[in-house]
Amino acid sequence: MELLCLGLNHRTAPVEVRERFAVSPTHLGAAAGDLANMADATEGVVISTCNRTEFYLAANDANKSLVLLEARLTERESLDAGASVHFYRKVKSEAAVHLCRVVSGLDSMMLGETEIFGQVKQAYQAALSAGTTGNVLNRLFQRAFGVGKKVRTETSIQEGSTSVGNVAVDLAEKIFGHLKDSEVMILGAGEMSRITAQSLVSRGARSIFVSNRSFDRAEELAREMGGHAVRFDDWQEVLERVDVVIASTGSPHALIHRAEVEKVRRARKFRPLFFIDISVPRNIHPDVADIEEVYLYDIDTLETLADEARVRRQLQIEHCERIIDAELAKLNLPGT
Amino acid sequence: MDRWFLILATLLAAIGGVWGMISVHRGTRSHWTVVWMVAVLLCQLAFLSIRGQLRAACPLQDIGEILVFLAWSLTLFYLLIGTAYRISLLGVFSAPLVFVLQASALISGMLSASPKRELSANVYHSLHSATSVLAYGALALAGVAGIMFLVLDRQLKIHHLKSGLFRNLPPAHELLVSLQRLLWLGTGLLTLGIIAGFLMPRTTPVHSHLLIAMVVWAGYAGLLAVKSVRGLTGRKLALSAVAMFILSLVVFARV
Repeated sequence: MELLCLGLNHRTAPVEVRERFAVSPTHLGAAAGDLANMADATEGVVISTCNRTEFYLAANDANKSLVLLEARLTERESLDAGASVHFYRKVKSEAAVHLCRVVSGLDSMMLGETEIFGQVKQAYQAALSAGTTGNVLNRLFQRAFGVGKKVRTETSIQEGSTSVGNVAVDLAEKIFGHLKDSEVMILGAGEMSRITAQSLVSRGARSIFVSNRSFDRAEELAREMGGHAVRFDDWQEVLERVDVVIASTGSPHALIHRAEVEKVRRARKFRPLFFIDISVPRNIHPDVADIEEVYLYDIDTLETLADEARVRRQLQIEHCERIIDAELAKLNLPGT
Repeated sequence: MDRWFLILATLLAAIGGVWGMISVHRGTRSHWTVVWMVAVLLCQLAFLSIRGQLRAACPLQDIGEILVFLAWSLTLFYLLIGTAYRISLLGVFSAPLVFVLQASALISGMLSASPKRELSANVYHSLHSATSVLAYGALALAGVAGIMFLVLDRQLKIHHLKSGLFRNLPPAHELLVSLQRLLWLGTGLLTLGIIAGFLMPRTTPVHSHLLIAMVVWAGYAGLLAVKSVRGLTGRKLALSAVAMFILSLVVFARV
């Protein structure tokens, strides 16, 4: 029995090709069975995320099954012969190494991201429940999960945040601890502020206030996020109670000056205030940072922090790969 | 025998502190700090118990015993507060202070080599000494939490977020909450100590160290009142906790 993997991901295929092979989480088990039949294989697991779809199979002849599977998939999706450039093919030990890299987040768009671990686990569970796995794939996936955990514990591949939104959320947690008692105000209903505020809400922020020059847009975003809309003239009143302010308006000049923050300090009892300015030109005057209890981060600082985390993760790749090779070498996995 | 326990406690505090500092420098969490500090506490208890038996009273009769009692109360409060509020790094910051206090107690002349048995130990005297030193332990730990907050605040302000220390420091809010609780606890214990001080038999109407203790108490009570009523920035609260602890050590010079 030989192991094989046929896949396509964000690096090899554009979204219009990836979406044709995407499988919904509820159909992963059934799809694994179908694919195994299609390729004359005895075992199958299908992994499908927004950035990748991969088919792991165990067959008597890996190369023959690969050709068969690719031809039938291309035919099913009515793709021309040129579509094969979007696929990558791995057999035997290459496929095992690839799965370990995927589980460890080394093959992800955001290097070291943790979500993929759960997604692969879900795909394996679906196949296991559907009865499409056997000795080869069971041992491979269980081993890959062990290797993935080891990589994440022994290296700093998942340390630091690599996106501006997550850097801001991590900083908020460093200042306020659990965000369940924190309130957030968004100034300007742009996409970046929405994403950052959503990250804060997903980590437990208590409430969101949205203020925008267009009140309709503020109401729309507030509704979407389960928050409250505030008229643009009234944002200073809300400043008294919130802990985090995300500024992202299209204003050509600073909206928040030191004087405005000074006015509400007494009412706030000098509690810490975290300003995230993701607008260009900046909406918050740099002088605001001179106030003792204020922490001010602009877009450049946040991007620099995200870049540094990305570089730190890049430097860990070799270490991670050494762990994967060493762990796989310890076992004689069937199919490799 | 008592001295050997103190030497062991001092060595353990030094090892715990150095171990913790190395872990912090490497950017990893020092899970062993709590273990080292528990060992320190056990040795301190052994020392104080032997001295207590020799004295037949609370072992707070010479400056060496007072320093060890202070180190013990600092360790005790760290273990109660630090572990409960997920601020294990507090141990890394406390260990050097415990080491300094105990090493000072080991200096020749600080600890009486043959402690005198107290024949007429007074309960208010013992209560006054014990609660006052316990109060100092809590206030010292508040000062340590204050230093930790000041370090974190500075790093957040200047955007210096790469160090292992930054990654290991607990959130600013948790540090401030711990600091305030320790201030309340220390001030409460100091209140008891002062009341017991007034009730103990004395030759003069009021001891000068009691007067200084009252000034210290008023300072801490004022700080807590301002924080509760008007509010105070984290930096000012932390700076005040550190400065007031250093100033309050003057009381020790008057004992």
